Amino acid sequence: MRAAVAFCLLCAAAPAAAQENGDLDRIPTLQDEASVPAASASNTHGKYYVEDAFALSSSRGNLAVAMPTHSSSDWGNRTSLDAFDQWSLGKNLSFTFSDRFSLTENNGIVFPRDAARNDFREAYLTLEPVTETFLEFGRINFKNGIALGFNPTDFFKTRSAVALASADPSALRGDRLGTLMLRAQTIWDGGSATFVYAPKVHTPRPIVGAAPSWIDPSFDQTNASDRFLFALNLELGELSPQALVYHENGRTKIGLNISHPVGQSIIAYAEWTGGSEPNLIAQAIAYGKATGTLPVAAPVLPPTSASRAFQNDLAVGASWTSMAKITLNLEYHFHQAGFSGTDWRNWFDIGAPDPLAASELWYIRGYASAMQQPTSRHQIFWRADWQDAFVQDLELSGISFVNLTDGSGMVQFAADYNLSNSWSVGLYAGGTFGSRRSEWGSLSGATSAIFQVVRYF
Amino acid sequence: MNKILGFLVAVLLVAGAQAQSKSPTAQDIIAGVDKVRNPGQPFRLTNTMIEYVGGQPRDRVTLVVFAKENKQTRQFSNLVRYVQPERDIGKMVLMNGSNMWFYDPSSKVSVRISPQQRLMGQASNGDVVTANLSKDYTATLVGEETLQDADRKDRDCWRLDMKAATDEAVYSRVEYWVEKGTYRQVKGKFYSDSGRLLKIAYYHKFVEQLGGMRPSETIIIDSVDQNLVTTMTNSDMRAQEIPDAWFQREYLPRLKVD
Repeated sequence: MRAAVAFCLLCAAAPAAAQENGDLDRIPTLQDEASVPAASASNTHGKYYVEDAFALSSSRGNLAVAMPTHSSSDWGNRTSLDAFDQWSLGKNLSFTFSDRFSLTENNGIVFPRDAARNDFREAYLTLEPVTETFLEFGRINFKNGIALGFNPTDFFKTRSAVALASADPSALRGDRLGTLMLRAQTIWDGGSATFVYAPKVHTPRPIVGAAPSWIDPSFDQTNASDRFLFALNLELGELSPQALVYHENGRTKIGLNISHPVGQSIIAYAEWTGGSEPNLIAQAIAYGKATGTLPVAAPVLPPTSASRAFQNDLAVGASWTSMAKITLNLEYHFHQAGFSGTDWRNWFDIGAPDPLAASELWYIRGYASAMQQPTSRHQIFWRADWQDAFVQDLELSGISFVNLTDGSGMVQFAADYNLSNSWSVGLYAGGTFGSRRSEWGSLSGATSAIFQVVRYF
Repeated sequence: MNKILGFLVAVLLVAGAQAQSKSPTAQDIIAGVDKVRNPGQPFRLTNTMIEYVGGQPRDRVTLVVFAKENKQTRQFSNLVRYVQPERDIGKMVLMNGSNMWFYDPSSKVSVRISPQQRLMGQASNGDVVTANLSKDYTATLVGEETLQDADRKDRDCWRLDMKAATDEAVYSRVEYWVEKGTYRQVKGKFYSDSGRLLKIAYYHKFVEQLGGMRPSETIIIDSVDQNLVTTMTNSDMRAQEIPDAWFQREYLPRLKVD
């Protein structure tokens, strides 16, 4: 009887165990680890790759405000050799180098004379004289900011952009010129403090005009004034706040970054800076006059006050991640120094009938772009990213900026696929939308598509 | 008399056998598992992961992991640095409780990531290796089963059902099969908040590491992507002093793997 009961129990238990081991059939024939050369943990600090990006674009005609000059080429190709590496020069000393050499072809340039360009991004020494205290000197790409689409506290972003395939801000922040600086940082359990001094080594370069020689390190873009920054990071609860004080040309700004998880899938964040400065129009006109692009007697157009006032910059947003590896970011950007609705109306009213004024008006927008600050006062930014979409290693993403005043915007969709550990391909397509008398609808660029191939070494 | 003696001997033998075979409590078991899993001192290791898609090896990722138990929370803090493939070299992930950041040396930017994002991507698999089960989960001993391990050898196991006991627990629920006597984990099943099975892990190839027999290979069967299986091989496990100051985002660009 007992045997019968035991047999019944065994019969009842056996299917459960068998079912529990059913997943063993999903385990493939495993690769022998010893047969595959493993990467050494210490010999792979560097990242080297060749990238080719071929672009097609279309332009708008009949612009509301005629552009003084714009590229006539509807195609272009850029081939870049990109290098980033770090070398240890001793127990407490290391050297970092980052550079990109590019060859560009399109209808508007003479090949090869105007085609070559070297972007000398970084070269600096790092010394650790005391444990967790670092002294660095050289050209350093130093960034701050928790937001994605607009970083008010990223004070060293101005005039740092280089040629890129993608309009995604994350790509923009990656491939940019560093700033010649002295940086000191100490890190302790629960926080860190950073001090930066970036000296003026050159007079500012005009935003428009002849391109510098291909090998020019462009210090006149990144080190055209003395700048100081102090940043304090603390690990307070789950907020991870960062406070910053920045000083340049007699004006001081303060800033704050803060973030906090909300539940399991949301990170809320905010980034703010404030300080006394002229608005965008006055800044641009003053810069144009100082660098000789605009005549000293040029009027301030659109009419605005040239005096300083306390200006706020704010990016507030959140990211949400789903179990399907989809991450959404939504941000609101407030740039108090930017164009108001009235400024935009004036911009179009003055520029439409007057080609001479149009040149100055477009200069303001070029200045905002070079300084990587929004032209408008209010905008929305969103980004969607789907990793391993449909198949492993395929990433689909989209970004968009939308002007909240006129409803115009830009959008870009991207598909990136890792063919292998060494090869990646990417397709980027996007454009601008909006009425003729809107921020984005007034641009000459209508649509663009870029195909990119990357080979990593 | 003999019958009485025989009866007494039988009683003593049964009592002794019962005392010997008395199952430990669920919490005793996971505490024992934690001892097998965790060296009890800060350490670093090299973790090589090979992804098999449709049965074929596709991606190979090598990470250097720095791990240290937080004495206050008794949770593991992890720093992860990518050393392979080429496109990901130098990328880093910090997992320190709810303070989680991803750093890309190309963009020089640290992006804060949510607990949900921790469950995605390669670095997330580290959770299957370093987690303080007895701290984060309340366990129930479901029963005893004979289960095949990854090498299809029968193992007599305790089966545990563990529910998250703290907000810091990465998974809402974990099922665990632990070999009786050795306290070696044989298999784990990891679930999301919604009760969805995310991954199944088989632990095997136990070798001597940092004073204990620990699994050098973990096979992770993805339950969301039915085509995906990942093997994680640990090597070069060694004790290392890791200052607490390392576990913050500002240290990410400073992390070296010499």
